[in-house]
Formats: sequence, structure tokens, C-alpha cells
Amino acid sequence: MTDTGTPEQLVDSSAVENLVRVLVKGLRAIQLYLPNNPIYQKAVENVRGGFGPVWEEYTELDIYVTESALVWEGVEVYSQESKSESVAWVLFKDGVRTLSFEQGVEDEEIVALLEVIKQAQSLPKDAPDDLLTLLWEQDFQRVRYSAVELGAEGIAPLQPSDSGWVRGTAPEAETIKKQIAEDTQDAESPSGIVKIDEFDGTLYFLDEAELKYLQEEIEREYSQDLRTNVLSMLFDLTELQTYTAVRAELISITENFIPYLLGVGDFRSVAFLLRELRSILERARELLPEHRKAIEQLPARLSQSDVLGQLLQSLDEAVLNPTEDELSELFGELQPEALQSVLEWLPRLSNESVREPLERAALRLASTHPDQVTETLETAEDPVLLTTMRLIARLKLTPFVPVLGTLLARDDVEIRKEAANGLAAIGSPGAMRELEKAIDDGDRDVRVVAVRALSERGHRAAFAKVEAVVNGKMLKGAELTEKTAFFEAYGLLAGSAGVATLKPMLETKGLLRRREDPETRACAAMALGKIGDEEAAAALRAAAAEEKDPLVKNAINRALREIT
Amino acid sequence: MTESDQQDQAPREVLADVMEDGNEAAFRERGREFLLAFYAALRNLRLYPVENVQVQRALDEVENSAAVLLEIEPELEVRVAGEFIFVNSTRLRLALDNYSTFSYILTTLHECGIGALHASVEVERREWQVFLALLLSSASAEVEGDRFAELEKKLAGGGVTHIEVEAPWESTTYEDAEARKRAAKRTYEQSVAVTQEVINSVRMGRTASVKKVKRAVQNIVDQVLQNETSIVGLTTIRDYDQYTFNHSVNVCIFSVSMGKRLALSKLQLYDLGLAALLHDVGKSRVPLDVLNKEAALTDDEWRIIQAHPWLGVLTLFGLRGYGEIPYRGIIVAYEHHMKTDLTGYPRTIRQRNLSVFSKVVAVADGFDAATSRRVYQTVPVQADQVLREMWENRRRGYDSVLVKSLINLLGIYPVGTCVVLDTYELAIVHGANPDTTQLNRPVVRVICTADGSRLDPGPLVDLAEVDANGAFKKSIIKVTDPGKYGINPSDYFV
Repeated sequence: MTDTGTPEQLVDSSAVENLVRVLVKGLRAIQLYLPNNPIYQKAVENVRGGFGPVWEEYTELDIYVTESALVWEGVEVYSQESKSESVAWVLFKDGVRTLSFEQGVEDEEIVALLEVIKQAQSLPKDAPDDLLTLLWEQDFQRVRYSAVELGAEGIAPLQPSDSGWVRGTAPEAETIKKQIAEDTQDAESPSGIVKIDEFDGTLYFLDEAELKYLQEEIEREYSQDLRTNVLSMLFDLTELQTYTAVRAELISITENFIPYLLGVGDFRSVAFLLRELRSILERARELLPEHRKAIEQLPARLSQSDVLGQLLQSLDEAVLNPTEDELSELFGELQPEALQSVLEWLPRLSNESVREPLERAALRLASTHPDQVTETLETAEDPVLLTTMRLIARLKLTPFVPVLGTLLARDDVEIRKEAANGLAAIGSPGAMRELEKAIDDGDRDVRVVAVRALSERGHRAAFAKVEAVVNGKMLKGAELTEKTAFFEAYGLLAGSAGVATLKPMLETKGLLRRREDPETRACAAMALGKIGDEEAAAALRAAAAEEKDPLVKNAINRALREIT
Repeated sequence: MTESDQQDQAPREVLADVMEDGNEAAFRERGREFLLAFYAALRNLRLYPVENVQVQRALDEVENSAAVLLEIEPELEVRVAGEFIFVNSTRLRLALDNYSTFSYILTTLHECGIGALHASVEVERREWQVFLALLLSSASAEVEGDRFAELEKKLAGGGVTHIEVEAPWESTTYEDAEARKRAAKRTYEQSVAVTQEVINSVRMGRTASVKKVKRAVQNIVDQVLQNETSIVGLTTIRDYDQYTFNHSVNVCIFSVSMGKRLALSKLQLYDLGLAALLHDVGKSRVPLDVLNKEAALTDDEWRIIQAHPWLGVLTLFGLRGYGEIPYRGIIVAYEHHMKTDLTGYPRTIRQRNLSVFSKVVAVADGFDAATSRRVYQTVPVQADQVLREMWENRRRGYDSVLVKSLINLLGIYPVGTCVVLDTYELAIVHGANPDTTQLNRPVVRVICTADGSRLDPGPLVDLAEVDANGAFKKSIIKVTDPGKYGINPSDYFV
């Protein structure tokens, strides 16, 4: 560079140019990568490093912003004509005209500044913020900026009034003097004068208690639940304002509030909102039918499958992380219509912290609204059906016995099993009658559930079927658990009369009779134990004395222990 | 423990602080102690002759607390930047128990054109005494020309060689009082325009720009923090035709100034300012013929006026999405006419604790409304009487601590009050005395001499100034109605 003597060329701008270059690159990296990305980190490191050479020469850096360039000491240190790519334009368009950095800015504030510029670049035109509002919020200590207020051109300037002393005319000196004299003639005991003595001396300062009070007030201000506060006022207004249009507007505001609250995960407020709507329905005066209907529909809307589905999806995907208490509170407000969605979601929930409160909600809804359960049982797909049947079993819901009975005819084994479990859990005579059908079900588990439940309930009507199985061939190939279940059921249902059948089965040999296999003999022993009378005990004791087979011997001993 | 042990203890504690938390914590704590001593010395020097025991004791404190700081680093620097005080680069926190002290020091240093003072380890007690006395006289005098240069010269002449003063870092435009006034005016004008735009937009069913409202409030917060006298002075503007807009801006300025005295952070001041600016936005839904009715209102019309708090709630909900208008604004719009016992309006059913922001805005609103000339209040009540009523009449339902805070802000004679002095001069209150022990002795602008001659613009006089005998040079003997003289007080602020 030749020295022409112009001021621009007396300044070596290379360090500043380099700094601006790394700043622009840094901004790009911040736009493209997350802070944990090595490229982001490297770019930030470069930005920080870029200040070093500048601070060797200067203590402060003032950069002027034009539409397409950044200028330092009269030298363009950055230029970009394309507005969409220009950092200068981002600053300029919102009014920033100078940007100054002080030493130390590189420690923390420079990254925050770049983040703010990035944020400003992505703001839509009608956003509530621009670069200036965002910069202000940062309260930078080592970054300063000056800006012009855009759009302030047409604002009328404040001017002294035309009638006052400044721009207008004052009365004659004599007139003023006379007025002052009049004014002050009663100055010894003036009525309108505030004397300091008349004020409490403590006015000068706030005392300790007052300071404490204010401190607490400010803390309360910033720890309060603002949304609940605002909702309370909306509900007060809805309750008290009888103007039709106002109520309609308030209801609309409340309605629009719900998705917003759900979106930010404020479930407690949603629960509060739903609760308070009930009190409005009870207390509000002169509530028009359409308003009543609209209010009634708000909680129902939340329980609709599309809305609830969105919520449960967010919860399951852990987009929202409420506490279990908050969820319980919210789910506690769900309405019967929600049950089907809840039941649909329960089998597929992967977030365990959501499952428990949701199950509680399902139980509550199912117990209070069995009609909803029936509907689900009739229409739901298999996974939902299973969940529903488990719910019925847990709640022992008698009204569902016929439906469960019909479900025993389904092809799907899992469904038949849950239906049997449901009927077993309900245990009513009607349930037992339905369960009889399952004694000869094609699935072993279903049969076992049925026969155990029937015998435990002493359902004598099933005896004939059980007897037929015990005496028939059905158990020949069955495994021990099923055999045991049937034999024990036989013992329980037959009572003393069953000894005659069981005793010969247990015996090691008999006249003209084939000896039973050890499993059947063991089962007979267990069944005798269930009968438990004197005759059964004698048969067991007699068998015990001679028995060599460990399986049978063990069963006899267990049966005897049961009797004693 | 002997006295010398005790003396040794202090530096050891300081060193322990340094080792434990770094210099910053030590400077914050010891710096605060130094500034409290500095303030006490200034106050005593102002009230008593230098030989007075209290003055001497205060000077001892200054010397000792400076020595403690000089144990940590060989130079003590007190720097003022905007609304902040830094001691050796550590920003001191403004808190409820020190804000008036810090404000006084800030104002005094600003008045003298000082950006920073530096004291070295060799500084002597005599130098502190001379420095403080010169600082006081420089701050209170009406000086023609460069006050800072004058002070520097006097310091050198007084043999003060180990305390140096430095001009502020801020640009020259900020040093210039006229530029500060212009900035305050610009902020005020823009804020009124924005408020007008919001209210008119709502009235016409158009969308209002939240961005502009934000900027206006941010500017007001900046002005209150950096240029409070100028911006508070502009609250004397009570435009009859634009009452609602001016009133909203005035309430915003008063509220933010009160918030500053409650040691709210900058962002909290913004929350408060935004809520205050929009507190009457519900009036945009009150029919103009009711709002501007000169005759007495009927019961129905009065009910409509009383609806403006909850109409404000509806309006703010409609201003664009829920994320943009803070809930606090909605709460303040709703609560600002409720009394501390929750009477007032609107009526409430559910349990409610009034927000402190609502209480602040209620006080600011009550003061500005009562002192303004409006359609149905053609003769405003004098500001001092309004303050007295707000303070004494508890049935008004204002929070008494906050009323006290307003009196602390405005003084007993608020900005713009027209007063007659015991010299029979006429004056306009320019600002509360920065020394909060002198609430009844504001800084005034004398606008007319005892013989009735108008002064244009007239000198600023600190009524706390005393003569050689310790007697006040001038005092207020009467608050008067400026209208009687044809004076418009706000003219002296614009």
C-alpha cells in the first residue's frame, strides 16, 4: 500500500478486518450448528481469538453500520451487497447504526450477541421483537450500540404551549407582583401548604419493616402462578358479567387458552380451568343456554380423542415432562368420552411415568361410566379390548358379564383368556354361568382359569362338566397343572361323594383294575385333600403308608397337611 | 482483643474474602461500605461546618473504608456509567437498602461531570475532606461553562494530588444536558404516539404493533435509569385533548421510577413499564362520547367507565397471541382500580392477592389522574395536596408504603409544582432533591423575581443550600396555582 496521505490509509485495518471476517463466519456457524458441535465451538474460539490482535492496538472498537457495509475508522472492513446474506443489513434494517466493543467482550458477551443476531435474522416481519428489543433484553455491559428509531418521522415534537410564559406572554411585572403579594398574605398559616412537619418523619426513608414488605411483595410477584391468576380473573368475569357479548368473548378466550396451556405443558392450570368451569355452571347468574352449552363443551373437548391423543402423544414422547401429581390432577378432570382414547393409549404407552396416573384415570372413568366401557368392548380393536378387559377385571364390573361371555367365543386366545380372567374376577353367579362355557375351551390356560374360578366359587352347576372331564379322556394328554386344577375342582365341587371316585384312582392296585399313572394318582390325592373329610383323610393315610412313587407321595403329604 | 488487633483484623478479613471469593466479592462488600461512608460525609458536610464532630467522624469513615479497599489493590477507582456504580470494575448491586445513597452519589458525580475518581494509596485524610467539600459546592452551584474543568482546577489548587477525577466515558452528546433533554423528549413523544396508535388500532379493530410498544417501554426504562430528572419532568405534560395517551405514558414513567426505587432489575422494570403503559387500554373500548362527556355521567355511563379494567383484559387478550403480551399487563389492567382490601372495581369472587405491580400502577395512576385537567375535572388538584390525600386518607385504598415511595420519588413538592419562595420569587419545582433527607427542599427553577420580572429560563436553585451560618438560603412558603399567573409548568420541561 502506498502512502497517499489520506486518513484512511494511515490506519492499519487488517486486524479489524480479520476480526469481522471471523465474526461473520462465527455467525454462520452459530446459525448452522448446535453449541455442542465441534464446528460451532471452533468458530467461537476463532471469534474470541480474533479480538486478541485488536486489543493489542486499541481498547475499544467502534464500528459504523451502513446498509451494506461495516466501517471502522473510515475503512470498509466488511461489505456485502446482497441483503439476504449481509450482516450489515441485518443490523441496519432494524436501526442499528454503530456497534462498539470493549475489552472483555470476547469472554461471554460476543457469543450472546451473535445468538441475538441469529435470532433477529429468523424473525418474521410481524414478530413482537426485532434486533433492538432483543439487544436491549441482553443488557450487555461490553457491547454498546446506537440506533435510530425507525418509523418515528411523523411524530409531532413536544413544544411549549402558546399560552404559557415560555412562548406566549407573561402579565405585567406589577400584576405578577400583586398576585404574589395576594398569594402570600396568608403565608403564615396557609391552608394549602404542605409543611414537612405535617408529614410523618419516616417519609424520608422506608424503614426496615417496609423494605422487608416490599422485598416480599416483589418475590411474590415473581413466584406467583400467573396463568392461574389470569384464569381466576377470567372466571370471575365470566361469572359476574351478564352482558351476552362479553360472556361469549370470555368463553372464547378460555377456549383458546386450553390448547395454549397444553402446549406449554401447564396441566395444573388446565385442571384448574376445568374445575372452575364447573363452578361457573353452578353459580353464574343468567347464563344463556348457548353459553351454558359452550362451557359444558370445553371439558368435553379436551376429552375428545383427537385432542387427548395429541396430549398423550406429547407425554409419551417426553416432549412434556409434568410431575405425576400434575398428570393426576389433569386426568382427574377427564370426562367419560376420554375413556376410549385412554384405553387405546394405555397399551402403547412407553413412558412409564405417564402410565400410572393414566391407569388411575381409566379406572375412575370406567367405574363411574360403565356405558363407555361397553361401547369400547363392542367396538375396540384387540389391544384396546385387552386393556379394557383387564380394567373390568380390576374393577369387578358386573354389568359386563354378558359381553365377556360373548368374548369367550372369540378366536383369539388372549381375548378368551382375558374374558375368562374378567369373569373369574367378577365372580358373580352370572359370571360363573358364563364361565362354564370355558371348561371345554380349546386353550389350556382358559380352561384352567375357568375351572379354578368355578371351583373356588363353589359353582355346583359346573360339577357335571368337571366330573366328565375327570372321568373322561380329556386329561389324558394334559400337563400336570391342568390335571391338578380339574381334580381339585372336582374335589371341591363333589365334596364327600367324590371320595368314591378318587380313592380307587389313588390306590396302587385294584382288583381287575389297571393302575393309574402317577400324575393322575397325585391329582387324585390333591382332590381328596380338597374334600378333606374323615373318609378322604383315611384314604390318604392308607395310601401314604404304601406309596413309593415320590410324586404321588409328595402329593399325599401335601393333601394331608391341607386337611390338618 | 486490643485496638490494634481489631485494626489488623479488617485487612485480614478482606484478604480472606479475596482468597475465598476473588476480588469481586470483596470489592462489592467493601465498596458498598466505602460508598455509604462517602455519602454520609457528603451529607454531614452539607449540613454542618467542617469542624463538627459528625463531619469529622464521617471523614474518618471515608478514610478507613478507602484504606481497606487500598489494601486489596493499590488504586481505588469509583466509576459511574449510566445508572451503575463500579468500584474497581465491580458493579455494585442496587438494593432496597442502598438505592437512595447510590442515587445521590450518582447524581452528584453526574452533576459535576465526573465519570470516575481514582485514589492512590498515598491519599490523605485532608485530601478526602477537600475533595468532598469541592464536590459538594461544584454540584450545587449554577456554573457557567465546564464544571468538570473547574473542579479539576480547584482540586489542584487545594493540594489534592492523590485523588484524580476523570470525565465520563459516555459520548459528548450524553454529557450534554440539552442532549439528555432531547432524548427524554423523543422518548416521551414516541411513547405517546405508540400509545395513541395502540388505542386507536383497538378502537378501529386493527392489529397494533407489539414491537413498537416494547421499544417505547424499553426507552422509558433507559431514560428512567439514565436520565430520570428529564423524563420525570415531562410528566408535567397534561394535554387536555390527549389525556388518555399522555396519562398512560406518565403512569408508565412514574411506575418505572418507583420500580427503580424498589430495586427492580432492568427486565423487571420493563415488565412493570409495559403493564403500566397499557393499564388503561380498556378505554379503547369505551365509547368516545362517554369517555369525553363533559356533563355528569349517568349511572349507566359510569358503569361503562368502570368497565375499562376488565375491558382491558379482553383487549390485551386480543392483541395477538398469548405469548406476546405478558400476563402481568393483563393483571395490572384488571387490578389497577382495586383497593388494597380488594374493594373498588371490578368486583372479584375468587381469592386474589393484589400484584405489587398493580399497586404501583394504582398509586401512579391516582396521582397523575388527580393532578391532570380532564374533561370532567377542569381544575386539577395541586400535586402536593394529592400526595397528602393519598398518604393520609387510607380509605383511598392505596398501598401506603408505595405512596411513601412515590413521595420519595417526587418529593413533597412534585416536579412541576409552582411555588412562591420566601424571597417572594416564583419558581417551578424542577426535581426532587437527590438527598432524600431533603424531601421538602426540591431543586427549583426560579422563573420570576420578587419584583415580578420574568426570568427566561431562570436559574436552577437547590433549596437545600445553606449559607455560611447554616441557614437555608431560600425556602418555599407557598404552593400556588400556576393558572393564576398564566404559567404552564410543562413548558419548562419541553
